[in-house]
Amino acid sequence: MSGVQPIPAPPLAGTRLAFLLAEDRVGHYPEFRAFLSRTFDLDRIGLAAPGYLRAPSGGAYALVFVGRSGESFPAGVEISAVVPALEPLDEDVADRDLWAILRWLVEGVGGPWTVADLDATGRLYRIGAAEARG
Amino acid sequence: MTSPIDLLQNARAAWPFPPRHARVNGWRMHYVDVGQGDPVVLLHGNPTWGFLWREVIPPLVAAGHRVIVPDMIGFGLSEKPTREQAHSLDGHIANLVALLRGLDVANATIIGHDWGGPTGLGFALANPERVRALVVMSSWAWALPPSDFHTRVFPWRLMHAPLVGPYLLGRHNVLAGRGVYLSVVDRARFRERAQAAYEAVLPDTASRLLTWTWPRWIPLDDTARAIDRFNWIEQGLRAWRKPVQIIWGREDDVFDHPTFAGRFKTLLPHAEGPHLVTGRHFLQEDSGPEIGALIGDFLQRLGSA
Repeated sequence: MSGVQPIPAPPLAGTRLAFLLAEDRVGHYPEFRAFLSRTFDLDRIGLAAPGYLRAPSGGAYALVFVGRSGESFPAGVEISAVVPALEPLDEDVADRDLWAILRWLVEGVGGPWTVADLDATGRLYRIGAAEARG
Repeated sequence: MTSPIDLLQNARAAWPFPPRHARVNGWRMHYVDVGQGDPVVLLHGNPTWGFLWREVIPPLVAAGHRVIVPDMIGFGLSEKPTREQAHSLDGHIANLVALLRGLDVANATIIGHDWGGPTGLGFALANPERVRALVVMSSWAWALPPSDFHTRVFPWRLMHAPLVGPYLLGRHNVLAGRGVYLSVVDRARFRERAQAAYEAVLPDTASRLLTWTWPRWIPLDDTARAIDRFNWIEQGLRAWRKPVQIIWGREDDVFDHPTFAGRFKTLLPHAEGPHLVTGRHFLQEDSGPEIGALIGDFLQRLGSA
């Protein structure tokens, strides 16, 4: 539905990670942390490797998980686009992909968190990627 | 259509107050300090800054008061920490304590809106010898229950959910822009005269951190981080005997006046009000001069009491 899929680590030679989004408190609602932990097997992998997603544009995105002493892991997460090393980011594409990743996240978390509500929130605040979905 | 530059110039013209800065609690805080007399401290909340009070300041100065208007660390023209862990309710109260002790404020009236409420009330309860009176508007001062608005997934909890908050409120600045716009009565007037001033001081994603951090500090259940501090504030107010005034936006749908102004009145039965004025949550945008006059009259009555 979201067009986003977890993928193995893509080839990284000749690429860079273009930083997009930081979340310092991924466990603010613990079910969000639980979903990411489950999806990327973080209890086993820990800090050894990022998680990767394929987004609707076909681009790969790295999820770099962050630990903080005294807090459940992961405490935070950063999302970066995997892009050709010396090429600028296509910001519009990245923004639409981020919205798709958020839809994937909310769908996976489930419970009271719904993609319909996320889309409605995006439309209320006139987010282009949400409005494009009607 | 009015250009963005014109909108910013409209806002700039409405803010003639000279900037001052103080080092507080390890941060650089911007504040306004105008007029002479017993001090009146105007405290904004999320995601605004001193600009919110621009139409309240002149009548209070004209009435013979010293008016102090700090920008909370993380907002307005103050320093903006870039990590969520830099922010806590206790830390923001300590920031205010540092400023007002540094200015040696005494016999002050503390006026809080939104997060300026718990912050200012925290200051007042910790430093009662410096405080003459309190004014609260569209705010709260207890742990539970939260407002209906704050418990809803759409739009409030989703707006600041993990990763969604940094995207919507960070990348797209939706709270300072459309969020405030949706929470005033006269939206056309707000867009023409004020919206640019709220957006311009939060120009980059990192500068907007507190807009999604403050929502995460609102207690929703008894596991909330600030629950002990809110309980302390509520208990302190139950014992508060100095003058209090309650002013509320008649159309406020974040903290509806029957529930929230009503609870302040129950907590502080000697309080004056609630005075209802035209306004949603950001009532100063619709009724600034009227609010200034209400506070001025309240202080005049105190002076002659």
